[in-house]
Amino acid sequence: MALVLKNVSKTFTGKKAVDNISLEINQPGVYGLLGTNGAGKTTTIRMILGIIKKDCGEITWNGKQVDRKSVNFGYLPEERGVYPKTKIYDQLMYFAKLKGMNKQDADASIKKWAQKLKVEEYLNMPAEKLSKGNQQKIQFMTAVIHNPELVVLDEPFSGLDPVNTEILKNIIIDLVKNGKYVIMSAHQMATIEEFCSDILILDKGKTVLKGNLKDIKEQYPANRVQINVNQDITKYIKEFGLEIENEKNEEFMIKLTNEEVAHKLLNRLVENKVTVNKFEIMKPTLNDIFIEKVGE
Amino acid sequence: MQDVITVMKFTIKDMVTRKSFIISTLIILVMIVIGFNVPNIISSIKGEETETKILIVDSQNIFEGSLSLINSEDLNYEIQVGQNTFDEIKEKLENGDIDSAIIVEENENTIKMRYILENMSMMDSVPEDIITALNSLYTNVKISKLGLTEEQIKSITPNFEFEIESTGDEAQGNIFLMMFMSIALFYAIYFCAYQVSSSITTEKTSKIMETLVTSTSPKTIILGKTIGIGLVGLLQMVLLVITAYVCANAFLDKELLASVLDVSNLTIGFVLITFLYFILGYFTYAFLYALTGSTVSKPEDIQSANGPVAILAVIGFYLSYFTMLNPTSSLNAIASLLPISSPFCMPFRIMMGLANTWDIVISVLILFVTILLIAKIAIKIYSSAILNYGTKMNLKDIFKIYKDKNN
Repeated sequence: MALVLKNVSKTFTGKKAVDNISLEINQPGVYGLLGTNGAGKTTTIRMILGIIKKDCGEITWNGKQVDRKSVNFGYLPEERGVYPKTKIYDQLMYFAKLKGMNKQDADASIKKWAQKLKVEEYLNMPAEKLSKGNQQKIQFMTAVIHNPELVVLDEPFSGLDPVNTEILKNIIIDLVKNGKYVIMSAHQMATIEEFCSDILILDKGKTVLKGNLKDIKEQYPANRVQINVNQDITKYIKEFGLEIENEKNEEFMIKLTNEEVAHKLLNRLVENKVTVNKFEIMKPTLNDIFIEKVGE
Repeated sequence: MQDVITVMKFTIKDMVTRKSFIISTLIILVMIVIGFNVPNIISSIKGEETETKILIVDSQNIFEGSLSLINSEDLNYEIQVGQNTFDEIKEKLENGDIDSAIIVEENENTIKMRYILENMSMMDSVPEDIITALNSLYTNVKISKLGLTEEQIKSITPNFEFEIESTGDEAQGNIFLMMFMSIALFYAIYFCAYQVSSSITTEKTSKIMETLVTSTSPKTIILGKTIGIGLVGLLQMVLLVITAYVCANAFLDKELLASVLDVSNLTIGFVLITFLYFILGYFTYAFLYALTGSTVSKPEDIQSANGPVAILAVIGFYLSYFTMLNPTSSLNAIASLLPISSPFCMPFRIMMGLANTWDIVISVLILFVTILLIAKIAIKIYSSAILNYGTKMNLKDIFKIYKDKNN
């Protein structure tokens, strides 16, 4: 199974929202769509799901056109919404039925997911009585209740507390284990780094970076060294002309221009009998790469 | 089709389980029961209904003792004749022995009638039937003095017979019943259709629409919603009509009921055609409201977006109302063809025998085409409107979306 986008573009009233993007997802996993606000992530997602028509290009799932009937997908939109006055159970049942489930299967699925997401006690309440985070979990349930092959999550973690973020993270990991294809857009780079095998960074509708996250990071030279010591080593650092990015409890984060200097610094510290508890040369984080690509 | 039924069932359940719906329906039902009991309530407050008592004082004997004959005429008054003074009259009024008094006095060839009440309100005047009765009594007293024969008296007493005829098409049937039905149709159609708009706007403002349109097609949503709300409206109407029918039979005077609600003209065919117009009228307005509802994304914009449809409905209603007041005027042709008014006035015209088969066929066809056209635009706008979370769309935006093939 594979989702393929080939040279897809979309223009809204003269402004190119998505400009000639291509991507391919051909194995289960989490695919990350990154970009600043207004970069074209939601438009791309909407085109993949056929909510809006593309101007040109091709979008296929297993070689077929993507639409409601041919692809069993689940979608958590960025614009969160629930029926405020309707019982949670009734609205979940409604969406499950619209997605083709029968009553028994839907009932079993609702109960299973409610247990997983810890919202069982709210099933008979109207949505307006739930907290925002819980409403979001309910909406997540509507996206996965029918066991879709392709799950599209637009900013799934925004507005969730750490406890619920953890619950949702584990669920997404489970989805991948069960062979699901997940497309996720997010602002939290740390989250994307945790999950995503492949990423695509958009800026003003254009692809600025695309590929396997590990491969991308490999291409970047180390840019930091983290040193934990038992004394102030500022003078040694200054000696090599290095810049301290952050210093806290005798743990130094130092910016690097090349790895060689870091090794020289370590040697110097050892020579001077400084106890080094930790010394780690670090690759740039996704956050660094993202800011480098779209920051200016 | 299965999805249309799912959307319809959800819409129905969502509507009828809502507290506001249950309470408003109950209030209307209670108001109907109270409405039919108004005559009973009034009489129970007033106690036994008594005739208005009028005292006539003719101390100069101008009527030559004939005043007592006035009670033999079919008037709704209890007439007392006396020789009381003004102070005595005042006392009787204050004690409630009489409701009013008339003092007859003659001075210098003119006869003056003083009508005396305890308290005068803006609406009080001398009762017309008492004036007529006193006039004819006085005439009789004077004529009898002329020594005319019975024949002669009869020949000078006018006894005209009035009849109304028209040269145009003649309207038949019970106009009161039909006007009542047309007004009921208008309210049923208008208020049911309005619900469609508010239902769509709720989905937009609660932002569930994007989830919804990825679960089923916009066409299915609009159709399921419209049918669901229509069925709830119909159910509500049936409930109201049954309550009204039961109350009318239980609380109203049978003769009065028969004269006001003459149902002899109501054939099955006519009921069916009225039902057809209800459905067509409902769909016309429901899709118009679906269209305006889709253009709104904030609850505060609902009123202004729905304004144009409300104006169309009022124009439609008044057009049909004028044709009811004047069932044979040429305005009827316009009112029966325009889809905004034909659902309200055609059943009336059919019952009055003023519409032939062709009129019906043409008006139904026009309604049908209009519905298809509005539905097409409404679905198109609805599908595109999920992208519009900003300001309310105006006519130009709607036109642009409709023409934009990329959406």
